[in-house]
Amino acid sequence: MKTGRFWAWVTFILGACYFFIPLIATFEFSLRMRRGEYSFDAYSVVLGDARFQQTFSYSVIVAVFTIILGVLIVVPTAYWIRLRMPHLRPIVEFITLLPLIIPAIVIVFGYIRMYGSNSPLPFLASARGTDVLLIIGYATLALPYMYRAVDTGLRTIDVRTLTEAAQILGAGWTTIIGRIILPNVLIAVLSGAFLTFAIVIGEFTLASLLNRPAFGPYMQLVGANRAYEPAALAIIAFAITWGCMSVIQVLSRFAPKSANRPN
Amino acid sequence: MANISATATSETTGVMPPARRSSLRMATQWIGVAPFFIFALMFLILPTLYLVMGAFQNAAGEYTLENIWLLFQDPSIRLSYWVSIKISFWSATIGAFIGLAMSIAIVRGGLPNWVRSTTMTFSGVASNFAGVPLAFAFLATLGRLGLVTVILRDVFGLNIYGMGFNLLTSWGLIAVYLYFQIPLMIVIITPAIDGLKKEWGEAAATLGATTWQYWRMVVIPVLWPSFLGTVILLFANAFGAIATAYAFTGSSLSIVPIKLYAQMRGDVLHNPNLGYALAFGMIVITGIANVFYIWFRVRSERWLK
Amino acid sequence: MADPFLSIQGVSKAFGQTTVVENFNLDVERGEFVSFLGPSGCGKTTVLRMVAGFEEPTAGSIYVGGKDITYLKPNQRNVGMVFQAYALFPNLTVAQNIGFGLKVAGVAKADADKRVAEMLEMIKLPQFGDRYPYQLSGGQQQRIALARALAPKPKLLLLDEPLSALDAKVRVSLREEIRSIQKQLGITTIFVTHDQEEALSISDRIAVMYGGKAEQVGAPFEIYNRPATKFVANFVGTLNVLEGTVSDAASGKVKVNTEEISLKGKLNGSKTGDMLSLALRPEAISLGRRPGNDASLSGQISDVHFLGSVIRVRVGIGESSVSLDTFNNSTTPPPVVGEKAEISFSSGDVLVLH
Repeated sequence: MKTGRFWAWVTFILGACYFFIPLIATFEFSLRMRRGEYSFDAYSVVLGDARFQQTFSYSVIVAVFTIILGVLIVVPTAYWIRLRMPHLRPIVEFITLLPLIIPAIVIVFGYIRMYGSNSPLPFLASARGTDVLLIIGYATLALPYMYRAVDTGLRTIDVRTLTEAAQILGAGWTTIIGRIILPNVLIAVLSGAFLTFAIVIGEFTLASLLNRPAFGPYMQLVGANRAYEPAALAIIAFAITWGCMSVIQVLSRFAPKSANRPN
Repeated sequence: MANISATATSETTGVMPPARRSSLRMATQWIGVAPFFIFALMFLILPTLYLVMGAFQNAAGEYTLENIWLLFQDPSIRLSYWVSIKISFWSATIGAFIGLAMSIAIVRGGLPNWVRSTTMTFSGVASNFAGVPLAFAFLATLGRLGLVTVILRDVFGLNIYGMGFNLLTSWGLIAVYLYFQIPLMIVIITPAIDGLKKEWGEAAATLGATTWQYWRMVVIPVLWPSFLGTVILLFANAFGAIATAYAFTGSSLSIVPIKLYAQMRGDVLHNPNLGYALAFGMIVITGIANVFYIWFRVRSERWLK
Repeated sequence: MADPFLSIQGVSKAFGQTTVVENFNLDVERGEFVSFLGPSGCGKTTVLRMVAGFEEPTAGSIYVGGKDITYLKPNQRNVGMVFQAYALFPNLTVAQNIGFGLKVAGVAKADADKRVAEMLEMIKLPQFGDRYPYQLSGGQQQRIALARALAPKPKLLLLDEPLSALDAKVRVSLREEIRSIQKQLGITTIFVTHDQEEALSISDRIAVMYGGKAEQVGAPFEIYNRPATKFVANFVGTLNVLEGTVSDAASGKVKVNTEEISLKGKLNGSKTGDMLSLALRPEAISLGRRPGNDASLSGQISDVHFLGSVIRVRVGIGESSVSLDTFNNSTTPPPVVGEKAEISFSSGDVLVLH
């Protein structure tokens, strides 16, 4: 037991080093912009860059629309599958896992070929249409995470019983969805939303290949041309990811605990 | 996959309600899920099929195996698949073993509770911290002016670049990929390690088994399917990744996604159908990997019910 | 007891500041079946785990066959153990599970296979060798766990609430099976349970535990009929308690509600005017007068539960009430709630709790 604990500590500390040294090094590097002393110059340059502000806010807006689209597609489906069509579950689950199997670059390649300006659905003919296609692509990438989060949420509250109980008490569909289902899965939906946000905000492949002015391609561009700013950007991006994950952790404490079913 | 859809269709027909009212009933039933299926068809399945079909056609639209043949013929394409597979394989395998060791350490090592919760939270963050900024972080650490490089040079007198070290190689990329592969392994495998019941170890002990015998006969066989399944997931995860590699080395490192990226930006290949074939090759590899993943997953869940 | 096979001597166990077992003593003879009975947290499982070697006692020693095993590792003790949650190895077939102990001991394959077949025969699952645990019911899994524990011919069999996870019917049939296998093999067995009916039905002796101590050790008949402490009386079996006042210590008269009964020789030096608790098992009470019952009280029927072969009747006597069982007799109509009734019992069956 004693030696076991010793090796556990060794493993943990070595792992912690591998994960913390790059963070410390990146932070240190980001402070080196001014010669001979540490300063936050790199951060003020980055944050003051108009292109940073434009691309970042563009990505935030895209992320918000992605989340809305994802929720609209996933929540009714997951609910309906749980409630009425459980026999479709294997198919739906398989489809939601597809974006993990098919690389993002392949999906976007398909979009470019299928929805070009000469196609019946010319998303790529206008900038607005391309934005929509980008949001759709992100919603596709986020599908596995969103579906799992919502489905887990629905499982813990046992939707079928809740819905039947509400129907017996005379509730209509709007009441059932709005007053019973949504509040109970809100935490799950929000967890999925923040995870989606973390994935979308710095995404590079889709945005770059669809030529949209998003944060991911901007970071890549800065990385190719500047020395200290990329480190500052990395720290900012890490902080955003950390923030999203912390919110999910905090949210999970408020999630309804399974009342009637252990699984 | 064939299996899944076969059972599903037989169940649909079996569950069909009596003819009266049923058409209306069915219609409302399907309205609930129709948006999802239309979305998946239009933006996930059809675009992929389009590429798969294109891989078997020439520029004139005639069916041919020429593009697939070229995948194997063209030395630069062959090399890019080889490098991609190598990077994905090693980053998945090494990441899986280190992740497993860390997971065992935090679950079974008798460490204080905060170690486990901190590691799990951090793993959640780091497994999603991929892409462009991750490349920056490693350049700032082990690049020519990175902190670790400088400390090694100035404090320990080790000039690693002078010794032939170069971060911008496939092994450098593997080290970078480990930054999200290890945490992903921890996130996925920790529940499986939690699933090892304390009583199994006690039962084995009362039956006279040593710790090593218990591990060899029970723990390793039980963990094996989830372990292998996760390795495959990590492999697919690395195989499709492009942003980190691109930000890291530009297009100098020849891996398949970067080759496809370059082709799509129109700088390299002039045969679009060869691009389809490149994409098709990626789908085949990650697809095969995931068939194995699902298979191992089913096996491990069966045992741990 | 000249030469106990298992001897637990003055064993205590503390986790940090909390003491879970305190100065526990027990001698078990070879081939004996002893149950540890008590509520959860009474220390019964901790004692068992110290015998198995999973916990080290803070004080005291444990001997098996005259040898001190207190600090021996679990895998060197040669004990068999069955757990509440079966704990079968999920990756091994039934036969491989049963043969596990033989394999790690290096028994030759042919001998091991023979022993496994024997064990499968013994638990009446001869066809199940090739199945996996997840394909079996709880009762079947637990029988296999029993066979696995017994296959290496252990000196001691330890059963840690083996029946608690099973449903009622299986529980009864499996406990009978465990007992018959135990008798057939003559293996010394310790059985931990919180279910008094289980303990009463299969044990040679029972140790009733509470707060880390053995309250009483004795044969089931003794434990049930002559509980040594109020805790044992309450924990084992259903007990009716009537409050009474000694009205004449010399003649043994006790006043219950408005009536007097005679408990001569049972008052153990109580004085006139003392309050007493009188405990009675339901089966010791009859509805109406019976020959041989020398005490009676009158009351009113407050509840009737039809349980099939018996009818459980609750009779209110003043402020308190007693439960009693009458056999269901198809020609006699059951009692009716609200009726006046008289109950009778033998004063010899009354347990006086001070």
